[in-house]
Amino acid sequence: MLLFTSQSKFNTIGTGIFIKSFLKFIAFNFNNRKSLNRYLKTKDGYLNFTIGLRTEDNSITCSIAFMDGRVTVSGTIAPDANAVLIFKNEDAARKLLLGTPTDIIYMLLKSDVRIDGSITYSNIFSFFISLLFNNVQKRAMKKERQADEKKVKKEHPKPHKELSDEIARRRKERLKGKKEDPDVLYLEDPYLSHYCLDDFPRIKKFLDDHLTKKPAICAERAILLTQWYREHGFDTDNNGTPWDPVLRNAYAYKYLMEHKKPVIQKDSLLPGTTTSKPIGSPIFPDSTGIMIWNELLTIPYRTYNPFDIDDQTREILHFEILPFWLHRNFKEWVREKYNNPLCEQLDERFALYFDWKQATISHTIPNFPKVMAMGTSGMIDEIKAELANDCSQEKRNLLTAMINCLEGINAYAKNLSQQALSDSYQETDPIRKQELLKIADICSRIPFNPCTTLHEALTAMWITWIALHNESLNAGLSLGRLDQWLQPYFINDMKNTPPEKREEYIKQAIELVADFYMRCTDHFPLTPDLANFYFGGSSSDQAITLGGVTPDGRDAVNDMTYIFLKVTEMLSIRDPNVNARYMPGVNSDTYLKRLCEVNLITAATPSMHNDAAIIKALTPLGYDIQDIRDWSATGCVEPTLSHKHFGHTNMQMMNMVAALEMALNNGYHPLTRLDIGPKTGRPEDGVFKTFDDFFEAFTRQFAFIIDQSIDYNNTLAEAHQYLRPTPLLSAFIEGCLEKGRDVTKGGAKYNSSGTAIIGLADVTDSMMVVKKLVYDEKKYTFADIKKAIDTNFQNDPVLLATVHKKVPLFGSGNEEAVAMANRIAKWAHDYFASIPHYRGGTYTTGFWSMSNHVAFGTLTGALPSGRLAGKPFTPGLTPQPFASKNLLDNIRDVAKLDPVNLTNNIAFNVKVVPSAIESREKTVHDMFSYVKTYFTLGGMQMQMNVVTSAVLRDAMAHPENYRNLIVRISGYNAYFVTLNRHMQLELIERAEYGI
Amino acid sequence: MKTLILEIKGNSLDDGPGIRTVVFFKGCPLNCIWCHNPESKKAVIELSWDKKECIACLSCAKVCPEHAIDLKYQNFVDRKKCTLCFKCVDVCPSGAMSTVGKPMTIDDIMQHVLKDKPFYDTSGGGVTLSGGEPLLNIPFVSELLKQCNNNAIHTLIETSGYFNWNEFESCIAPYCNTVYYDIKLIDEEKHKTYCGVSNTKILSNFKKLIHLSQSMGIHVVPRIPLVPGITATEQNLTGIAKFLHDCGVDNVELLWYNPLWPEKCMKIGNNAKVDETLTRWMPHEEYERCKKLVSGVTITL
Repeated sequence: MLLFTSQSKFNTIGTGIFIKSFLKFIAFNFNNRKSLNRYLKTKDGYLNFTIGLRTEDNSITCSIAFMDGRVTVSGTIAPDANAVLIFKNEDAARKLLLGTPTDIIYMLLKSDVRIDGSITYSNIFSFFISLLFNNVQKRAMKKERQADEKKVKKEHPKPHKELSDEIARRRKERLKGKKEDPDVLYLEDPYLSHYCLDDFPRIKKFLDDHLTKKPAICAERAILLTQWYREHGFDTDNNGTPWDPVLRNAYAYKYLMEHKKPVIQKDSLLPGTTTSKPIGSPIFPDSTGIMIWNELLTIPYRTYNPFDIDDQTREILHFEILPFWLHRNFKEWVREKYNNPLCEQLDERFALYFDWKQATISHTIPNFPKVMAMGTSGMIDEIKAELANDCSQEKRNLLTAMINCLEGINAYAKNLSQQALSDSYQETDPIRKQELLKIADICSRIPFNPCTTLHEALTAMWITWIALHNESLNAGLSLGRLDQWLQPYFINDMKNTPPEKREEYIKQAIELVADFYMRCTDHFPLTPDLANFYFGGSSSDQAITLGGVTPDGRDAVNDMTYIFLKVTEMLSIRDPNVNARYMPGVNSDTYLKRLCEVNLITAATPSMHNDAAIIKALTPLGYDIQDIRDWSATGCVEPTLSHKHFGHTNMQMMNMVAALEMALNNGYHPLTRLDIGPKTGRPEDGVFKTFDDFFEAFTRQFAFIIDQSIDYNNTLAEAHQYLRPTPLLSAFIEGCLEKGRDVTKGGAKYNSSGTAIIGLADVTDSMMVVKKLVYDEKKYTFADIKKAIDTNFQNDPVLLATVHKKVPLFGSGNEEAVAMANRIAKWAHDYFASIPHYRGGTYTTGFWSMSNHVAFGTLTGALPSGRLAGKPFTPGLTPQPFASKNLLDNIRDVAKLDPVNLTNNIAFNVKVVPSAIESREKTVHDMFSYVKTYFTLGGMQMQMNVVTSAVLRDAMAHPENYRNLIVRISGYNAYFVTLNRHMQLELIERAEYGI
Repeated sequence: MKTLILEIKGNSLDDGPGIRTVVFFKGCPLNCIWCHNPESKKAVIELSWDKKECIACLSCAKVCPEHAIDLKYQNFVDRKKCTLCFKCVDVCPSGAMSTVGKPMTIDDIMQHVLKDKPFYDTSGGGVTLSGGEPLLNIPFVSELLKQCNNNAIHTLIETSGYFNWNEFESCIAPYCNTVYYDIKLIDEEKHKTYCGVSNTKILSNFKKLIHLSQSMGIHVVPRIPLVPGITATEQNLTGIAKFLHDCGVDNVELLWYNPLWPEKCMKIGNNAKVDETLTRWMPHEEYERCKKLVSGVTITL
């Protein structure tokens, strides 16, 4: 909301007068300029709404009303205003009007301004302002970015070529592996050390495009679906009968897939694209799509995750698509049905929790083996057989919906086949012509029929993947155990290849898998700019899982495991997010060493998991052991029982530290100024006689926050069932067919929702400080500690030093600190597990953070742990950098956490730095030794960043030399150079251990 | 039975094969001027003040009965007044004031060591005894080695070679897998000047050790610390190489000069002036030159 006059002029007039003048200026322009006035009327008629603006103490009140194409300003706020912007004070109001779009985001995050009511209407209002001021906004955004770049460059003026070269050099040297894993049948050197990216020119080109091209917003899906709904009704059909949402969505979906543009990506062996653009972002107007209304003009210019958008797309979104979804989106549906409930208001204050259902559910593993083995035709036959039985109406509808969705896929595949054929006529290169003919042939049969070759299997998977992404927004929809599922097709191909041609075939297999990885990068989730603060640099997080054990407990590592690892090594891309399983005593050292080598070369991937710990964690949930052993990582790290489990494993990001802050403030949350928690007492008043009294206060506050978050989760779940059930996905998850129930309603064989709890190390350490200094040693009173944190330790250097150096913290090798961490994790686990789940099943607890440890940290004051105000929390459950100088202490303590409480996995980040003079063998051996010991001790998950802070600093100032440097945030990978500054600094400041 | 331990450092990747725990003994019969662990020389507990950690809260000064602590003193502590009562250490919040050296029993040490055992098992690591000079207290070390043997832990001793041979042969050799043996200066007079003692015993122990190692399967690695202008001279390096060659030894490790010790000296109140050449890292070319000198006498590195 940029100003139309200079700041100096503005300062001389009162804020109230200024705001009113500002609104009148908007009204005048919209009333008198045709070019603007036309935006007030859409295909659904006039946009009629009122936005109020006021300060918290009502020193200023005014409003602007848009009614039937006229805009008026008033000095009062009507009680039925659609949204009210409430400023913390007059200064905040001034700042908001003078600020850049980035400033406004920070003001929202820091509760300097909040929105009471419809965020959608408030976004439309922002869009109208942007129509007036977008040039000023763009200039301000550019200026802001340039100033920031200049500042960083000034600190690090010269690029350090030797640092960027070192990273590039890593991929030149490659170890050879022994053929010793029982299911590795054909690869003599499983490390495939003689291949490098240069052997695959088409893949190299894809990679280059991926790293240089900006994604574009694609409205195709939204346009086709909205067309269908306009024609056939959304709430009721044309006869006025309420739609069963499952059927409605399936018919619309089929129409979408029949009319979706078939695109054969240039040079790719796998046909089809998620959107109509080469790299596109599909817009989902029922969730995040509606949230970018205010950014339609500025989204290409924002610093983080910019998207191209053409004029036609922008116009059609504003005039035809978004208005249709004004009330048909998850957030507003909940707001209207439940009268702007507290649970939603709290989510929208950004500092307590974030519920992912406002974007999507995703986060599961579809049944690829099924479509590969029986084809969509086989799946349809199976459904028809079920339909022939006596079915309830709900079941009949779902099964009919599934068939329609699968027929949609078939129609799309057929269109792809024809497209490939017609492309082949145009093609002049004879080799590519042959490829196109082959693609046309495969698509004429696949995925309709069962697959027999690796090429067919990957085609079936890719087309299914596109199909699923067109049904629901992809955030963490994951690919599963691809090495297991593709090995049979690899073996079949090998058997049909004469021995002298096998090496050539292996090369083709690598190329096909690499092509598949690159296809997975053809879309990017569309997020409002605000989300860049929370999930910076995150892609869709499409997890692939490798290795581990088979459902009957045997060594699962096979030829395809190593082919996937080779591709992971060569591409070094952030997504697909590669997760490797390791079972102590079953999987080989050769395999684990290869994981470490790939981690070293790529600097950040794969993430490694201990099967034994996951099995321990999931067994108490009553799952079948064979299904547990078949688990796959989902999104970041979370376990899903492959294609049998709807586990929305990232239902929410939960800021546990907020509960601690509220326990320290008698239920009051300092940043949001919300006095909402239970009255557990002020520590200054001496109400906590024992440490346990304080611990209980913390758990009561935490329980309050959890309850609210679950309320929001449940209401959003209801919104999903009505607005976006997913019958296609249901066809790919076991249980739905038999139960006749959509996955969103609990059709899956296993059901759960998983939370990501943030701040375990920070809360544990804070508890240790309170316990040791106040209750055990009685060196300080609770009031002393409270005073110190309220003043950010500015007057208490002695206390701060004591906390850092004299209190045993989590990760220092102290049993009591480990016991404290276990106590907190157990409480969280037990409480979540005690809550009835809306789909049946359970709530699972994970301790990883994506990038929310940075975001929530920014919004949190100083803590007893000595963490200063605004600083990031530790990533996942990683110990604080100063807990111990000895990495082994960290490793041992994390391994001692009881897996039973970690049902949604963890993220333990370790930053190691290889010595410049050591050999590759030694470096890999050292990494291997850490990981293997950690797993032997029972640790669940570990992820290593193999990069120095010096490299990261260089990359921050000279991003052009590091465009594909990936880093592990907490659970996912990101390109370091695309991260926001806060996140870059957090990575730089992590503890670093030499190897 | 207790002995003075300087530090037990876990997760060492540079003191032998695999991941190792290094037990630093306090006290050394030599007095090398460049010693990179100067705080390990004296076999008594000392007081250390670390300027980098200090937050200047003066909690220590308030409790010092001798008034030996004041910002006006060079390095904060007047060592002449200090009676090593360590009251300052107890109150220091930041850990800047600390004791150097702690009397420990075999059990104390084994507790540390056994914690790291899983890491030795996966990495092929073990325990390294260093110092100071671990072989100053052979009965203690012998018992410690036995305990490691009983727990199937690989053992390595880093020694100056200045020890009693007979005791070594009967009490150490049977329990130790590897010896890192420092040979600093071949010239006896220079050895006296720079290390405080004659090298006769060191060289003769080395010959005996090489002989014994063959029958007992002890892995011996001779090492030369490179000290600019002192050990890193042509005469010395070729001299040592020749000595090793005569002993039938064809491997040697050169230790890159580490210039961080003057700072450590200051922490324990030793402000002796240091020659300017000793305050810098050794350049790569210089290291390569030394390597050539040694390998010229048929020594593989």
